[in-house]
Amino acid sequence: MSGPLLEVTGLAKHYPVRKGLILAKQVGTVRAVDGVSFSLDRGETLALVGESGCGKSTTARLVLRLIEPSAGAIRFEGKDVTRVSGAAMRAMRRRMQIVFQDPYASLNPRLTVAETIAEPMQVHGIGNAASRRARVAELLSLVGLRAFHAERYPHEFSGGQRQRIGIARALSVQPDLVVCDEPVSALDVSIQAQVVNLLKDLQRRLGLSYLFIAHDLAVVKHVADRVAVMYLGQIVETGPKRDLFAAPRHPYTRALLAAIPHPDPQRRGQVKPLGGDVPSPMNPPPGCRFHTRCPFAQERCRTEAPALRTLAPGHDVACHFTETLPPAGLDFSGGLSDVAARRLALYADAKARNAA
Amino acid sequence: MSATAETNEPIAPPRPGILARLLREPAAAFSLVLVVLIIAAAVLAPWLAPTDPYDNDLSKAMQPPGSEGLPLGADAQGRDMVTRLLYGLRVSLMMGLAAVALGGSFGALLGFLAAFYERWLGGPIMRLVDMLLSFPAILVGLAIAAIFGPGIFSVVLALSVATVPLMARIVRGSALVVMRLDFIEAARATGMTDARLIWRHLAPNCLSAIFVFATLRFGQVILLGSALSFLGLGAQPPTPELGAMASEGRNFLFFAPHIAVVPCILIFIVVLAFNVLGDALRDALDPRLRV
Repeated sequence: MSGPLLEVTGLAKHYPVRKGLILAKQVGTVRAVDGVSFSLDRGETLALVGESGCGKSTTARLVLRLIEPSAGAIRFEGKDVTRVSGAAMRAMRRRMQIVFQDPYASLNPRLTVAETIAEPMQVHGIGNAASRRARVAELLSLVGLRAFHAERYPHEFSGGQRQRIGIARALSVQPDLVVCDEPVSALDVSIQAQVVNLLKDLQRRLGLSYLFIAHDLAVVKHVADRVAVMYLGQIVETGPKRDLFAAPRHPYTRALLAAIPHPDPQRRGQVKPLGGDVPSPMNPPPGCRFHTRCPFAQERCRTEAPALRTLAPGHDVACHFTETLPPAGLDFSGGLSDVAARRLALYADAKARNAA
Repeated sequence: MSATAETNEPIAPPRPGILARLLREPAAAFSLVLVVLIIAAAVLAPWLAPTDPYDNDLSKAMQPPGSEGLPLGADAQGRDMVTRLLYGLRVSLMMGLAAVALGGSFGALLGFLAAFYERWLGGPIMRLVDMLLSFPAILVGLAIAAIFGPGIFSVVLALSVATVPLMARIVRGSALVVMRLDFIEAARATGMTDARLIWRHLAPNCLSAIFVFATLRFGQVILLGSALSFLGLGAQPPTPELGAMASEGRNFLFFAPHIAVVPCILIFIVVLAFNVLGDALRDALDPRLRV
């Protein structure tokens, strides 16, 4: 199969804002997602990152058509998903599944784990009761749970285990695309690593494509192949993970990367965090949406909205002055200064000598 | 840690069934026994009753409880109170259950639809419910009795109609909360039909509200039914019905208080037993409360 698995062009979701009790008047529009385009290949992970409220989750739900888009097209294997409806849409849903952020709210407390995992198969008429039971056991072991967990209820599990159940449910119908809506944000750091590794492992074994929504860049750096950075309903930079982390081209991406906590105390104070808040999506600033907070903003940014430009193959940036920006000056290689590295080496040597 | 890591057997013992969980709580077990007894008494009334419910013997009129052959006395027409209570229980229970089941299920359905299709149906359904709510149950009863004539059927219909808006409101409120949870969206993402989503995911999570209100309403309905009977719209004399018996007895409150008091005590016991059982059932059906 050639061409991308998922292709999204000009996707938008505008919510009307009404005022008044009986004769409601539309007083404005919240542009939650405003012209988002990206594509996703088979077996690839595209991470969508950005601050809270920038439209990441809305984009995820639009792709799955859990929310109806206001404009734009979503092509799944070349077929426009926004045009199908009814039974065809329900059949389509077998191919795309979702893993939610909150493992406590995403499982029906009245259904056992087996019922939860088997239900998508039942809905799509896959197998009979016996084969579904076998598949549930198989899925449970696939996500690192045990077969006897099947008869239990969600409240008997920890957050990480529940997230595994949610993943098993998503995988039960053998989807091609899994939308992960901040799948680890609600988990403990130690559990996050387990779940992220599980997702990566499953991708390798089952050839899944992930649309991975996150705000934790450390997680993104670990799972993503490509990254798209969103700000106020639009994508401002998209590129291969390595390029984007090594040489961020958009001032907002730089600010995001600079905000990653760093283990080196020497660096403290060198990074200036972004000031201010995200402007309201109901009344986005004219020109470049980021100009109100951008340290490099110029006159042109206030009036003219920058389009996404291709700088390198697969690396697009929406900034007028990306070529003339000063170097990022961020070191993300190891994050340790020479002194600290030498000290660590000494420490390791001492440990090795003790062990010998 | 390593001891449990390798076992493939469940560590916890198998969970008890619903009945076992219900019987563990003393109050619940007692109410269950009471409800079973009440229903058995109502069903078996023709075999349990010592006399015919319409047999009157004016020489025994208003005999106090404990008289010869009359453990609970006799009413103003000299009919055995025990017989009358057994048959009255039958009519009252049937009336209450029918009205709650009929009105409750229709109301719950409206509530689910209003919450699920909030955009299109939410407004229209709830305004309809508001309209129904603004009619007092007695007025609805009067109107229905005027159409169908007085009788048990009219009472059941009137009480059902009066139950619909209340149940719809309560279910909608509870369903709106559930609708916001992620598992509803997850269910939608699997591609199931709306009917299945409502039945499997929405409704079971609103059960506790439904149970509590249904049992509460059951008591109210029995009382309302007796009020309608009292107005002459419900059970017609000489049909025994607990509410009607109580209202008949009020004329003799000073000379023979037992005629009014004994049916009232029975109503009290029935309502209480059903309420306690409803609470217990709600807890027993909730997997989160299983230990």
